[in-house]
Amino acid sequence: MKLLIQIILLCTLAIGSAYAESTPAPDTKTTAKSEALDRDSVCTRCHDENESKPILSIYQTPHGNKADSRTPSCQSCHGESEKHLSSKSSAPDVIFGTKSVGSHAPSEAKDQNKACLTCHGKDQKRTHWESSAHQAADVACTSCHETHTAHDKVRDKKTQPDVCFACHKDQRTQINKFSHHPIGEGKVACADCHNPHGSAGPKLLVKNTVTETCYTCHAEKRGPFLWEHQPATEDCTNCHTPHGSNITPLLKSRAPFMCSECHDGPHVSKNPAAGNVEGLQGGLTVAPSESFTGRACTNCHSMVHGSNDPAGALLQR
Amino acid sequence: MKTRNEKMNVSILALAVRCALMTTIALPLSAYAADDADALTKPTRSVDFGVLYSSENSARFGQYNGLNTKGFYGLGGFDVRGGDGYDRDKNSALRWKLNGSDLGTTSRNLGASVGEQGKWKFGIGYDELRHNITDTFQTPFLEDTGGNNFTLPSNFGGINSATGQPSANRLTPNQAYAFHTEKEYTTRRNGSVGTSFSFTDQLSAQIDYNHLEQSGAKLIGTGSLGSGINLLGGSTGRAEGNSIIMNPTSYSTDNITAALNWVGDKSHLTAGYYGSLFHDDYNSVSWQNPLTTGASRCVGINCYINNTMSTAPSNSLHQANLSGGYDFSATTKLAGGFSYGYNKQNDSYAPTLIVQPIGNTPNPYNMMQANGLPVSSLNGVVETTHGDIKLTDKSFKDLNLSAGFKFDERDNRTDSNVYKYKNIANAAYTGVNTPYSNRKLQYEAAADYRLTKGQNLNLAYLHESIKRWCNGVVGGAQCVSSPASEEDKISLTYRLKIIDAVNFNAGYSYADRRADTSNFLANAGDYALVTPVSGSAFNAGNYQGFVAYPYASRSQNVGKAGVNWQVTQKLDVALNGRYSYDDYNAQLGVQNGQSAAVNVDTTYNYTSDGSLTAYWSWQNGQRNLTSGTTGNGTAAFTPSQIVEPKNIWSNKLDDNSQAFGLLAKQAGLLGGKLEVLGDMSYSLNTTTYATQVPYNTAVSCASSASLTCGIVSPIKNELISLKLTGNYKIFENGKLSLSYMYQKLNSNDYFYNGQQFGYTPNRVIPTGLQEQSYTANVVALSYNYKF
Repeated sequence: MKLLIQIILLCTLAIGSAYAESTPAPDTKTTAKSEALDRDSVCTRCHDENESKPILSIYQTPHGNKADSRTPSCQSCHGESEKHLSSKSSAPDVIFGTKSVGSHAPSEAKDQNKACLTCHGKDQKRTHWESSAHQAADVACTSCHETHTAHDKVRDKKTQPDVCFACHKDQRTQINKFSHHPIGEGKVACADCHNPHGSAGPKLLVKNTVTETCYTCHAEKRGPFLWEHQPATEDCTNCHTPHGSNITPLLKSRAPFMCSECHDGPHVSKNPAAGNVEGLQGGLTVAPSESFTGRACTNCHSMVHGSNDPAGALLQR
Repeated sequence: MKTRNEKMNVSILALAVRCALMTTIALPLSAYAADDADALTKPTRSVDFGVLYSSENSARFGQYNGLNTKGFYGLGGFDVRGGDGYDRDKNSALRWKLNGSDLGTTSRNLGASVGEQGKWKFGIGYDELRHNITDTFQTPFLEDTGGNNFTLPSNFGGINSATGQPSANRLTPNQAYAFHTEKEYTTRRNGSVGTSFSFTDQLSAQIDYNHLEQSGAKLIGTGSLGSGINLLGGSTGRAEGNSIIMNPTSYSTDNITAALNWVGDKSHLTAGYYGSLFHDDYNSVSWQNPLTTGASRCVGINCYINNTMSTAPSNSLHQANLSGGYDFSATTKLAGGFSYGYNKQNDSYAPTLIVQPIGNTPNPYNMMQANGLPVSSLNGVVETTHGDIKLTDKSFKDLNLSAGFKFDERDNRTDSNVYKYKNIANAAYTGVNTPYSNRKLQYEAAADYRLTKGQNLNLAYLHESIKRWCNGVVGGAQCVSSPASEEDKISLTYRLKIIDAVNFNAGYSYADRRADTSNFLANAGDYALVTPVSGSAFNAGNYQGFVAYPYASRSQNVGKAGVNWQVTQKLDVALNGRYSYDDYNAQLGVQNGQSAAVNVDTTYNYTSDGSLTAYWSWQNGQRNLTSGTTGNGTAAFTPSQIVEPKNIWSNKLDDNSQAFGLLAKQAGLLGGKLEVLGDMSYSLNTTTYATQVPYNTAVSCASSASLTCGIVSPIKNELISLKLTGNYKIFENGKLSLSYMYQKLNSNDYFYNGQQFGYTPNRVIPTGLQEQSYTANVVALSYNYKF
């Protein structure tokens, strides 16, 4: 009997401790973290793990790291939403997103963004947000960012382009052209060159100019060279189209035709070229010209980005 | 009693077992209640591993994905996160992360970070990318890719018209035998480390450093030295003797970014530094060229001309940056920035004394004339300055206003000197380096007015002013053909939310650029000294009236419109298009260009588990060019020859692109265990050039001996891709993925014609480069484990 009592006691203790182990003891110390969670609980007691959208995943993101005193609560972004608390049919103060959910239309972009910019409005990356191309076009932060999911696609190099292509569809086609940056392959992301939050550069480029942006990865083109090629020093896009081209390497056109857009006099740049660029296989009956076939002008004038050879003024060395 | 006791003992044992069972069950039962929530709030850790088989040897297919050779590849990746910051019961903001992807290929990536949110963060990373360029390049050079000195086999012999091998397209069997394949690629290895620290809520600092190491080579064309070198066999070198060589990319770049950020109630300021130090292991690349002229037979190593050309010079950039903003009120804000950059390049010049094979004269060959080299390195300095400021105001109801100013200057402070050298034809040439500078000023103003709720009108105006010049050019002459331009641009955009589910937008912009092209159109000084054009005193040697398109006056019209319609909660449709037309004000040169695009997208989420997305895109670009030509009396190389510009030939570029795709996703199959993904796409891109020569009557442009008019065979690339993936959940934390990819590229490009053995120009050494079409089948099997 004694043994039985001991077993029952042990059993009770064991089961109790099992529950005790899995049920956290209340922290008597009131922390900012628990306060934040308490405020969240106003929402999460309904918007729990059963939501079709994974609301609670926000706790995996920086917005759910409650030990950081700056971390917002649900109300920081969605508002106190008192009407919504009293009636589910009423919308929260701020509804994020771009599409209607049920009977609730999303809030206006400026109201959505206001919530985000309360914290994110004052940093270097968003200095130029106001009146930027995306701001002026009423792009909401949540047009690109998913704050409640652990994996925010736009912050992942491999998935970011798909987010941008939702609007920039010309570029979606271009990155699949024959010559392209490794964007689809996940090695270059749109944000490597562009700052979607606004910038002082053209086309929301991360740097002040096109050339500065390109030199970030292509520093070998920076020089300065002894013999410069003027259009190359001013703007790489005079010759290149960075999102993709049918002509390698990311060229707007091909020599000799491209060179003819700026040169019409020296050497053979004044001469017309057509089927002769195709060589003997194209019907030419004499030996093709090194000025027109293959690399054409760049068979010799290959230093088109500039030359550092004292005997290279013609960009041949 | 004994029996009862025994029974009791048995019962007690049974009870103990049950108790133990209950205890063991109690843990998971209690945990189970929180499982769903935990699954959402706790980070998912995962490891992937598997194997992939690719059926194709193709540098093109493996251009960036590392699958350039046929065979098996390991698949590996992981994403592991943790830290007390994920634990809602711990008052810690510490989180860490380890991740890796594509570990079995040359596109691998690894990273690690740890940080206490709001206080500090530290991270390291490694990224690798091999750019496979071609695996069909053939060369007679003995050395492998990556070096900077390329020599021919000693028995290769010369290519000489007097020896039965009149040109590079008629090689001897011995020469043809010397050709072998070299795979061309460049590899980038990028290591990074970065940290940030918050001193207070207002003050923080961050510093990032990355080291990029590049290796491999890219193909480059070369012109050989001319008749200045007499070979032992009696021949001489031949100018424009072209070899395609493997230009080494033996580079390293160190980038450092540091910033100190301050945030106040009404303002914020960031002071930063950006440093970029580029280093090239080589300052030149050397090669031998077998192309010779003359009557004598040339045998052996003495048949070759040793050549040297420069590679990318090592250089540095140090840039100080300042940016920030000030809020006058909640509705009126000021933002701006300032940057100053110091870019220096003082790499030693490529050698000018070129040692030739023994017996050849002169040896060494001096590419410079007597006293022709003023300095041994450039000591080049470019100072870049940027400033911007923008004021935005939302004080008026429904009206947003902004006004801004930008300033960008590239001031090339490099000294200008006279370089007297011998060009590739061994002719004396005098060049003066012209360090180009330019300054761009932009003034902009914009107003965005909300007509009604969901209806906006945006009006923007931009004025741009550009100046171009060279500092202290020897001789004092003008160096730029267009020293200045002014451009005005006005844009109007209208946005309308017709109903909650339909958004419409339309925009139009007009730009007018007025360029000072006086230097294109008249004698603006002695160009002979300052432009790399022999014998021309006008327009950089171009025909009178010709203007290079980046510097021509131009008007530009752009129109675009789009509509997004959320038809139902499940169906979305989008349609947009744009058209632009550029009209250049030049008598000769690019006359106009236009581009157009149409995109149609639709997504149907037929269930919460299934979706279907389809898109179609069409793009077109055109450019029309007019030009002068020889033999028509309009050449303007001396004042007496200046006549009215006349369009002798024209060229039209037509670039077409079509693409469509279909993406399907179906989850929830086989009781929720199976997910199937499908991705099919098709694209067709063609580029065509058409040339007309209406005034050239002396020789038929359609003659098969010249073919200077007509339409060139299109450069055509057709890509078909299909990818099917099935993810099967074996158990709660384990998923098996099987995927199959079919990809086919049909590439047709006349570029390769002139590369083939027997079909090259007389003076271009063949490379045998092949079209890059491929058909690839890839099967991958991987296992994903979550924990």
